[in-house]
Amino acid sequence: MKVTLNKVFPLDGSVEDAWQILKDIEAVAGCMPGAEITDTIDEHNYKGNVKVKIGPMNVAFHGDITVQDIDAGERQIHLIAKGQDSKGSSSASMDLVARVRESESSASELAGDAGVTVNGKLANFGGRMMTQVSDQILGQFADNFSSKLATSTASGESDEPVAKPEVKQINGLKFAWDALVGWIKSFFSRKA
Amino acid sequence: MSAAQETLERQDQLQGIGCSRKRKEDPRFIQGRGLYVDDVKLPGMLFGALVRSPFAHARVVSINKEKALALPGVHAVVTAEDLKPLGLHWMPTLAGDTQAVLADEKVCFQQQEVAMVVADDRYIAADGAELVEVEYEALPALVDPHKAMDADAPIIREDLVGKDEAGQGKRTHDNHIFTWDVGDKDGTHRAFDNAEVTVREEILNPRVHPSPLETCGCVASFDKVKGDLTVYITSQAPHIVRTVVTLLSGIPESKVRIISPDIGGGFGNKVGIYPGYVAAIVASIVLGRPVKWIENRIDNLSTTAFARDYHGVGELAADKDGRIKALRFYALADHGAFNAHAQPTKWPAGLFSICTGSYDIPVAYARVDGVYTNKAPGGVAYRCSFRVTEAVYLIERMIDVLAQKLDIDKAEIRRRNFIKAEQFPYQSALGWEYDSGNYLPALEKVLEAVDYEGLRREQAEKRARGELMGIGICTFTEIVGAGPSKACDVLGVGMFDSCEIRVHPTGSAIARMGTITQGQGHQTTYAQIIASELGLSSDDIQIEEGDTDTAPYGLGTYGSRSTPVGGAATAMAARSIRAKAQKIAAHLLEVSPEDIEWDVDRFQVKGNPEAAKTMKEVAWAAYNNVPEGMEMGLESVNYYDPPNFTYPFGIYVCVVDIDRHTGETTIRRFYALDDCGTRINPMIIDGQIHGGLNEAFAVAMGQLISFDEDGNLQGNTLMDYFIPTFVETPHWETDYTVTPSPHHPLGAKGVAESPHVGGIPCFSNAIVDAFAHKGVTHLDMPHTAYKLWKTIRQLSLDT
Amino acid sequence: MAKTQVSFNVNGQDVDVLVEPRELLIHVLREQLRLTGSHIGCETSHCGACTVDINGQSVKSCTLLAVQAQGARVITVEGLAAGGELHPVQQAFMDEHGLQCGFCTPGMLVRGYRLLQENPNPSEEEIRMGMAGNLCRCTGYQNIVKSIQAAAAAMNADAGNQAE
Repeated sequence: MKVTLNKVFPLDGSVEDAWQILKDIEAVAGCMPGAEITDTIDEHNYKGNVKVKIGPMNVAFHGDITVQDIDAGERQIHLIAKGQDSKGSSSASMDLVARVRESESSASELAGDAGVTVNGKLANFGGRMMTQVSDQILGQFADNFSSKLATSTASGESDEPVAKPEVKQINGLKFAWDALVGWIKSFFSRKA
Repeated sequence: MSAAQETLERQDQLQGIGCSRKRKEDPRFIQGRGLYVDDVKLPGMLFGALVRSPFAHARVVSINKEKALALPGVHAVVTAEDLKPLGLHWMPTLAGDTQAVLADEKVCFQQQEVAMVVADDRYIAADGAELVEVEYEALPALVDPHKAMDADAPIIREDLVGKDEAGQGKRTHDNHIFTWDVGDKDGTHRAFDNAEVTVREEILNPRVHPSPLETCGCVASFDKVKGDLTVYITSQAPHIVRTVVTLLSGIPESKVRIISPDIGGGFGNKVGIYPGYVAAIVASIVLGRPVKWIENRIDNLSTTAFARDYHGVGELAADKDGRIKALRFYALADHGAFNAHAQPTKWPAGLFSICTGSYDIPVAYARVDGVYTNKAPGGVAYRCSFRVTEAVYLIERMIDVLAQKLDIDKAEIRRRNFIKAEQFPYQSALGWEYDSGNYLPALEKVLEAVDYEGLRREQAEKRARGELMGIGICTFTEIVGAGPSKACDVLGVGMFDSCEIRVHPTGSAIARMGTITQGQGHQTTYAQIIASELGLSSDDIQIEEGDTDTAPYGLGTYGSRSTPVGGAATAMAARSIRAKAQKIAAHLLEVSPEDIEWDVDRFQVKGNPEAAKTMKEVAWAAYNNVPEGMEMGLESVNYYDPPNFTYPFGIYVCVVDIDRHTGETTIRRFYALDDCGTRINPMIIDGQIHGGLNEAFAVAMGQLISFDEDGNLQGNTLMDYFIPTFVETPHWETDYTVTPSPHHPLGAKGVAESPHVGGIPCFSNAIVDAFAHKGVTHLDMPHTAYKLWKTIRQLSLDT
Repeated sequence: MAKTQVSFNVNGQDVDVLVEPRELLIHVLREQLRLTGSHIGCETSHCGACTVDINGQSVKSCTLLAVQAQGARVITVEGLAAGGELHPVQQAFMDEHGLQCGFCTPGMLVRGYRLLQENPNPSEEEIRMGMAGNLCRCTGYQNIVKSIQAAAAAMNADAGNQAE
């Protein structure tokens, strides 16, 4: 089951500061809720974990992250992450292109295009929640990224060790609820 | 009392054919004393739970049983490796293919069986199943049957690579199963080329599932001391199971006992042999203890015999008056990963060639291509009479399409094309000899009952106001009662059926048949047949089915075959008893047998009705006072090989109102007239009609087993799969005519699948009719509110 | 898992069973108490084949842990006939052909029994709404509705007779 997402998030920091975080894979992984890097093989290959809870399903994925490309000129990274859950009953992969760039309405913006593919039990029982949950995950990611950006900007030194955020589980049910609330709210807040 | 009244009273007392007598099986069911497979508990019984594949297509890299085996209470974990030395890791299917019992190196559909954990109870077995570690390597999945024969399609059946046939004729591609065709291809093409009018439509019968309330399961019990195997099993064909178990296991048939006890609905879901049964049987043989395996609802919806998944193209050629000159039907059949199609051997597309329907069509051609995909195996199930649902859906939709093209009323076009009464027995262009039918008076009866003219007037008024109202008509002919053994066999066994009757000295009787009821009321209806034939009260006739140790060999109950074949065997066995009884009566009355005539429940001397012996009196005499040279006793067994199928028919009308803002459909009225020839128990027939129509309603309006592009099932639980409740289910009106079958001993044809076969196109025709004034010629099922709402939006009908 | 004792009353009889905390009531009824009348048709609480009556309410016993039945008064289909005489709802199902394969029937009967206690004179719509938690594949529901109506009529006539 494949879900394609194209999102743009406004950021409060400069494009250059944002890029410093984006090209730091460990920092980026740190912004993904429920995720952590467990192993650095080389600068293009990592191993990581992600914990997700969607309704009754608790899945812990472990897998590989490959940095396909880092383009400093475009300030763009291309990542491919592939994993299986510990029971082998679900698999997931994500092909993500993320870039930071100038924005008209904010200091800068983070733009992401992601193709998320899920196979197995998660696709079987969680299929219909995929888009909303992926949306929420990316939204959370952007929030974390923004916080990190604010912190690094405030501290003035982007390579100061940042406290590793606690690896929390993504709670899919909460996301689904938030997604529902967000969707209903959107009826009342359509921009002209 | 007059003689005629007296005769009627004696007839009434028998509660025989034609009587809406209450059912003999009810007392145990209403007191919770039925015996279903999951009610069986044997000493020492263990419980089996299956480990299933989460992926639709993957290599099985490794299976680690260690943790499962270490769990206290787990006795065994069976995998393909364990079955290989016994040659049981693959098994033959009813369609000439082979199917993996437990996944052998790869899995080919989501939820495919990979291992069975056997443990002390169902909870430990479930825990054990969670502990089995299976490593998979996912492969690209093939889900769209239209892509199955592409050059770059993933190959599913590596075991068949290079084999140019898989049990049903030549294959042209590794994912191709068969191509089957029937009819006059050239003649049909010519007729289309020369036709005044042609219509063409792409018509889908989506994949659905019968979902009987009781899921499938078995209790397999191998007795190591005696060397015999007993299996309680949810099977619609226990004798076939016995023969297959013998062929697979090597245990002689005389030492295999299959018992189909009470079955909680079959609908074709319980015909095939499922891997769970085989794994449980092997586990029992190896462990020497009974093993119970009962699937859950998700397993049932995901892996057992689904129905339909026929992607059709229908074409009719006609003249300007709507007289059909030729029919050309094509279907692409998605059979899933193994061809486990429940069919008589020579019929890879079942009885699809009944698709000329109730109409006199001079030339026709039909072709079906079967392909493999990464989905569960099956195809024939769900009250379909072996693909008759697909065939009738196609012709009943197409005649409506033709009617719309020519702007001819949908009832009128049927009148113009009906096979006429004087044409029976009728030879159809695709090779069937319809035994009897009388469509026109039945149609007129229904149209009058529903005030068809009035409905069309109302529809016109409503259309003028922008409201959506549809009138659906379906005039179908069924083909049931498989079947003449020269045409129909299952794994080489001809499709006869059987009945054995024994009358006791004090005048009651026991009878056993080779069929097996799953709710159709056989304990009552068969007793009624025997009651009328032997003049004994149906209350005094015990009917047993399903135990292969006692029942004569039969092919089981599906395809509405019990009355046409089993009922015929019953009548013939009874008549054989009556013939012997007549001789005994003559002996008792001291006349010659030719001087005796039969009257309801007694033998009387012609011209002297006072001199009579009842069947009861003859029964007593059969055990102590028979004519010189005659054997004692009063019993008979009959194996009936039917000379033909039977062809019940029906006329259905459905009226729908569709809310143009929500797409919600209200079934305002459903009128069903069925002609099944002689009617044994009208109350039971009505019950069958109600049930079949409800299942038709479910299929037409909401059921779908769907997959994402990787073969992951979407909606394989009752959270999503539409089973109508009391609330959605409409009210049913039933009616009938009687056109007996000329070749059946009782003139009876069978009826239980007619409402499903006829109901589905009737609902669909009503829905499409609601949009016909906007040029809509066809809409695929299921007709959910969402889909109809989208159509309404597209046509801007909600403004 | 360590087992725990649960005591309740089923069909007028006090019972004590030893169960794991995670064991479902339907399994305890069927396998330990051998009351196999209540059936299992799904695992998502949709079908109602497991319906029993607990402390005066219809309950799907597949969705209740056995430990939750502690101290309860449970009625299953086996308990409907009092003193060997069929309950009017059971008789009505036989009279009106309200069953075919019989698998949904115990749930229908136990639910129908409680429905008529709640509403002794239900309309067809109330019957259909009130029994919407019980699925049937065989009957198309129509004759079950008639059965409940017949049971209501019989019970009201009885009540009327008793009042006289």
